[in-house]
Amino acid sequence: MSKYPTIGESLRHQGISRRDFLKFCTAVASILALPAAMIPKIAEALESTPRQSAIWLSFQECTGCTESLTRSHAPTLEGLIFDLISLDYHHTLQAAAGTAAESAREAAMQGNKGNYLVIVDGSIPLGNPGYSTIAGISNVDMLKEVVAGAKAVVAVGTCAAYGGIPHAAPNPTGAVSVDSLITDKPIINIPGCPPIPLVIAGVVAHFVTFGQLPNLDSLKRPHSFFGQTIHDRCYRRPFYDKGLFAETFDDEGAKQGWCLYKLGCKGPVTYNACATTKWNDGVSFPIESGHGCLGCSEPNFWDAGGFYKPLSVPINGVIKATTGYALAAGAAVGAASGALNRLKRSQARQNHETVTITDLERNQK
Amino acid sequence: MSAATFERGYNALKEQIDAPIASFFSSCVRCGICAEACLFFTETGDPKYTPIYKLEPLRKVWEQEYTLLGKFKALFGLAQKLTDAELAEWKELIYNGCTLCGRCSMVCPVGNDLVYMIRRAREGMVAAGHAPEGLINASKRAVTTGSPMGIKLPALQAQIKHVEKDTGLKIPVDEVGVEYMVLLSSMEIINFPEYLEAIAKIMQQAGKTWTIASAAFEATNSGIQIGAADIARELVSRVVTAAEKLQVKTVISPECGHAYTAIRWEGPNLIGRPFTFKVQHILEVLDEFRQQGKLKTSGFDSNRLTFHDPCQLVRRGGVVEQPRHLLKMIASNFVEMSDHGKMNWCCGGGGGHSAIEEAHELRTQVFQRKKTQLEELKVEKLVTACANCRIVMEEGFEAYEMPMPIVGLTEMLAKHLATSNESN
Ligand code: SF4
Ligand code: SF4
Ligand code: SF4
Ligand code: SF4
Repeated sequence: MSKYPTIGESLRHQGISRRDFLKFCTAVASILALPAAMIPKIAEALESTPRQSAIWLSFQECTGCTESLTRSHAPTLEGLIFDLISLDYHHTLQAAAGTAAESAREAAMQGNKGNYLVIVDGSIPLGNPGYSTIAGISNVDMLKEVVAGAKAVVAVGTCAAYGGIPHAAPNPTGAVSVDSLITDKPIINIPGCPPIPLVIAGVVAHFVTFGQLPNLDSLKRPHSFFGQTIHDRCYRRPFYDKGLFAETFDDEGAKQGWCLYKLGCKGPVTYNACATTKWNDGVSFPIESGHGCLGCSEPNFWDAGGFYKPLSVPINGVIKATTGYALAAGAAVGAASGALNRLKRSQARQNHETVTITDLERNQK
Repeated sequence: MSAATFERGYNALKEQIDAPIASFFSSCVRCGICAEACLFFTETGDPKYTPIYKLEPLRKVWEQEYTLLGKFKALFGLAQKLTDAELAEWKELIYNGCTLCGRCSMVCPVGNDLVYMIRRAREGMVAAGHAPEGLINASKRAVTTGSPMGIKLPALQAQIKHVEKDTGLKIPVDEVGVEYMVLLSSMEIINFPEYLEAIAKIMQQAGKTWTIASAAFEATNSGIQIGAADIARELVSRVVTAAEKLQVKTVISPECGHAYTAIRWEGPNLIGRPFTFKVQHILEVLDEFRQQGKLKTSGFDSNRLTFHDPCQLVRRGGVVEQPRHLLKMIASNFVEMSDHGKMNWCCGGGGGHSAIEEAHELRTQVFQRKKTQLEELKVEKLVTACANCRIVMEEGFEAYEMPMPIVGLTEMLAKHLATSNESN
């Protein structure tokens, strides 16, 4: 049994009514992409689930990931997450400092051995251990010590997921990602510089509600949010398809909202949800503000050949030859089935009998 | 004689599935967020009114006809083909349970334009003979008499006479080469002749030339509401022919929101070419007059009042700021509803809904949404810019015993028109 109150109890303790609790469950259901009919089931599960103990470790990072989460919007995601979890240690956010903070971490590790969640932002320097320490403990030692008793690890942000900016050439600190050090625990990557708050919330909510991580792709990213590229979902895509490109940031094309490909947009090779969830309460996202995607949620994004260099200039290490073949094959299959579907639709069109007011009803038999 | 059949309906659904619809279905993540945006769901709490669920028949056709997985499923007997009984069952969801308000399209996190899909699904329902009787009759009247309410030219001529007598102004009919051709909705002709009166006065003050076309005075398009592009095309063509014959520069859509969607957005696609004239909503025209200094008003209405944004104007049409600019000229105590502007809640009777007799009870139930919005504000008066919204809300007020006057913005402006030497 956990010493933590259940989520239901803790919400009631804050004076949250049943109705608000159900609203909360609806918010959870929606970020988990579940149908409305699941809401009562979620309510039932959350009512009796203890709040999940979580330890947040910040290594070589800029605090942008924490900022991204705490600056998020309605239904205040950070509120939602903090209702689902008990954040037992987060040295940027917690009130305690020094020894008190470190003993909170130790207490959480002992009290919830084998059950707590570790959330990491920032990369880990393997060069000189003194490059980044907390309470005199090097990042690598703290990571290994804390993860040993964890149930799962969430690597938040591109630094934790792939090394990020600290890892950029020449990588002076020898920065590495979490999954290059930890191999014996379930890990999920939520890359992005910073990552989309909704995605962090969605993953945590999934973990608490179902007790396991969601489906992952080969780079350990949640399928539901990283299944498509920015390009797949970009509202400037029709211009790309027509070959209409802005050539400079202030030419006529740019003013007409044409595709930013030639200005270095990395949308076509970047898997993330920006084009659909957008940023700042759904206000816009970089491409909508006139700048190409930097590809911040992909490995090596900082070294991918210049933010303003168009993609067709081959980028070392990012697009491998195999991807090229796979793309070609995929395109061929896609084209073939696309052609069949077009045929089918045009047949349906040929079969169209003009609807007039005399055929709005069935024949009376 | 031809007639609707299930096969025709199935074929029509197949025909409707274009690239956007295919990509919408394949990208739906089943988050259910669209449910919360729909007043039929929020007011009934019944999950069957989740917008994406209303599209189940269309989704089935897409999956089985156009996807590899669907073909496999069919091959192994894992999927049931769409049946006529299902279409009959969905009639309630696709017509009675949707006003084509488009609020759901605004919230979908993956950008699915749900209302576009529902509009398309109606094409299949019509061809299969599952359209509601009220809409079928309205469409028949629209094609045969020129108006969904069966209003013929003599009725309009009689109203014109009245208005001319009351105002002393001439209502121009079939004038060639004028700037504006004014369209009306039947509701305006029969229930709110004040509208025509308002137009006459405003045009006079602004010094603009205009006309009504006797061959095409009606703007509402039942073809769009029922979901029959062929009928919609026929109705739009009448307006286009008349406008081109009279060589007008601009056609003015009346306040009615669906009329505006029909002529402005669907129109050119239906006839397959751009128009030779411009189409504007009356509020866009009035706001232009205001900017040109050609709309002068005097006096303010001091009632605490608010504005109901007709769905088709704000969401599909982008006419958001204009009514506010105009209202500020004549109202001193104007307050905004929660969710005003492009997220405003539907009155509950758009998309042809108000013509569906058997949906009356449901319409009254979902009107609670508007009721709640208005009660929060404690206003004395409601202004809107759609004759249909107006009738629907009047009925709602009656049902819930909320005595509150509703006025159309155009006529309210006309009441405040300045005579030559006074103005605000
Ligand atoms: S702007 Fe970028 S993501 Fe959008 S279409 Fe162009 S290349 Fe693709
Ligand atoms: S648009 Fe591209 S660069 Fe910007 S946040 Fe999204 S993935 Fe990163
Ligand atoms: S268009 Fe409006 S009424 Fe129809 S499903 Fe969407 S939100 Fe509901
Ligand atoms: S909001 Fe969009 S993604 Fe979510 S269920 Fe509705 S259609 Fe699907």
